[in-house]
Amino acid sequence: MNLMKKWWSKHWKVLMLLFFLALGSIILVSHNQSMYRRPIGKVIAVKVIHRQKQKDEFNNIDYQYKQRLTLRVMNGKHQGKLVYANNDYSQSGGMDQRYQIGQQAFLTQLSSSNGHLTANVSGLKRDTTLVALLWIVVILVTMLFGRSGGLAFTSVILNVVFFVIAVKINVQTQANYLLLIFAVVSVLMALASLTFVYGWSKQTLATLIASLLGVGLSMLIFVVVSKITGEKGIYYESMQYVTQNYRMLYLAEVMIGVLGAVMDETSDILATMFEVKRINHNPQWRTLYDAGRSVGQSVMGPLANILLMIFLFSTLTNAVLLLRNGNSWCYTFNMCMSLGVAQSLVSGIGIVITVPVISYLAAFILARR
Amino acid sequence: MSTITALALILLLLMIAVGGKQGWSSFVSLMLNFCYFFLGLVLVAWHFSPLVITVILGILILATTIFMGTDDLQVSVSAFEASIIVMIIVIIMTLVAEHFVQATGFSNENSSELEGMSILIGISYVQIGMMTMILSCSGSIAEASIAIVSGIVETFRHDKHIFSRQLMLSGMQIGKHIMGTTLNTLLFGFLGNLLALFIWFAGLNYSFGTIMNNKILVTELVTVLISFIGVILTVPLSTELILWNQRKIVDNEHKTNYDTNDK
Repeated sequence: MNLMKKWWSKHWKVLMLLFFLALGSIILVSHNQSMYRRPIGKVIAVKVIHRQKQKDEFNNIDYQYKQRLTLRVMNGKHQGKLVYANNDYSQSGGMDQRYQIGQQAFLTQLSSSNGHLTANVSGLKRDTTLVALLWIVVILVTMLFGRSGGLAFTSVILNVVFFVIAVKINVQTQANYLLLIFAVVSVLMALASLTFVYGWSKQTLATLIASLLGVGLSMLIFVVVSKITGEKGIYYESMQYVTQNYRMLYLAEVMIGVLGAVMDETSDILATMFEVKRINHNPQWRTLYDAGRSVGQSVMGPLANILLMIFLFSTLTNAVLLLRNGNSWCYTFNMCMSLGVAQSLVSGIGIVITVPVISYLAAFILARR
Repeated sequence: MSTITALALILLLLMIAVGGKQGWSSFVSLMLNFCYFFLGLVLVAWHFSPLVITVILGILILATTIFMGTDDLQVSVSAFEASIIVMIIVIIMTLVAEHFVQATGFSNENSSELEGMSILIGISYVQIGMMTMILSCSGSIAEASIAIVSGIVETFRHDKHIFSRQLMLSGMQIGKHIMGTTLNTLLFGFLGNLLALFIWFAGLNYSFGTIMNNKILVTELVTVLISFIGVILTVPLSTELILWNQRKIVDNEHKTNYDTNDK
């Protein structure tokens, strides 16, 4: 209890400041309609005017509704006026959604015909929730971890900025240097997160080099295996949002995806090995190597699982849709999951192969000096 | 041989070569988690409620990752309890967030791949989306809780007489490191997943406002942020739980000591 009081008296100013900043920005974002060029309306009345049962050739039963919405325009030249819109939605809500009173929606084709305004609704205004969630993360991380939490979060933001800049450059150069751009930006992102989380030291540099080596090796293995097996069972054409350059883009995705996990792992291994060196000034090569490897053995499984869960579950919605459209499990696996599974496997290989590589290298360097 | 089989074989060989018995159990836990995913997928397609499946799969994934990830029962029990509590919080947060954003299913960006498909499948896309959000972070919650609990148990074994307050502080110290690295693992994992979508947005010159309200991107961002919250909460909760369990053990030892003294 005493500890809590002491902690509170030391930190309450920062916390209060954060809290008010959060509150302020959430209020600001929920009233920023004037900053949008697209008209936004707030739903003030809803009436379902039609309901119909739908059955498709695969015996999927769903219900389709038509609702008549009354909205009040919140920005632009029609601000304050009422607008009417019809919205079709289904019970399952795949492409469409049901609107409820109080929600704010973007309007398209806003036009006036014989005295009143009509429009179509095209999606909710979702930015407020995003900002609120972001602030929950910020406040939790600073409350629990103080300065290092703030630094970790700053590195996250910085990494996203690097990533977005790389995407812009890639688009401007017509994706000609895709892999090169993302390789360079991966190095920058790794450098940023490592220095923000651990500060700058020889250990950080070693972690960086080892991580890049691990990721590079796993990419090499993937490319070689693809060549030998003739990419059998890998369906690049099933990639989402891609029109060209499948292979390069996929390689870049794999590279960035695994880098964080490999950095996590090398930093754990190196921390232990440096600790062994600190306690025992003249350690045997073997002692160091075994220490590194035993840490690596225990972290590699859970790390590979983190990535597997991310990559697998991102395919869930599509996979359900394919299965419900009368496709076989095998076809669904090939078309939805093969790329994600391959990505998880390559990531796993990267995570495992890093263990002996970094243990060997670091033991070699640390034992000689 | 297909590329995926070859990659899986290489992974298996490497895991055994590097990790021996532990490597083998790591590989088995990966395979099991994949099977759970497939089982969940099929059950959802057969009209079982996605939310019920989410809870069952969540428990299975956490149990497999944690109990196969470490041999130490003292570590695994506390880590499992902590991660279950975090999972419950994550489920509640997802329900609340999803109520506001309603961001699931497909958007105009998907129209080419949806061509010729019947989208009205009678299964709530909102619930499938929530399943994705909740279970995407199950791996990282499991990893973080194992790391923290085993770190604290290690400190405790070195010094049996360490105060629980000091243990709490050392737990948070270990937690700081784990929080930083796990956030990075998650962030890079998600960025790797989102690369194609970002290039699409940039190529078509979407405005910032459009992107920040886009259904697909918001889904992904909410998933990332909720995963972050899950990992952040895992640190204090795991620390509290291992201390609580430790205290229970110590109290029991005292009791048995008194009992034997009386006789």
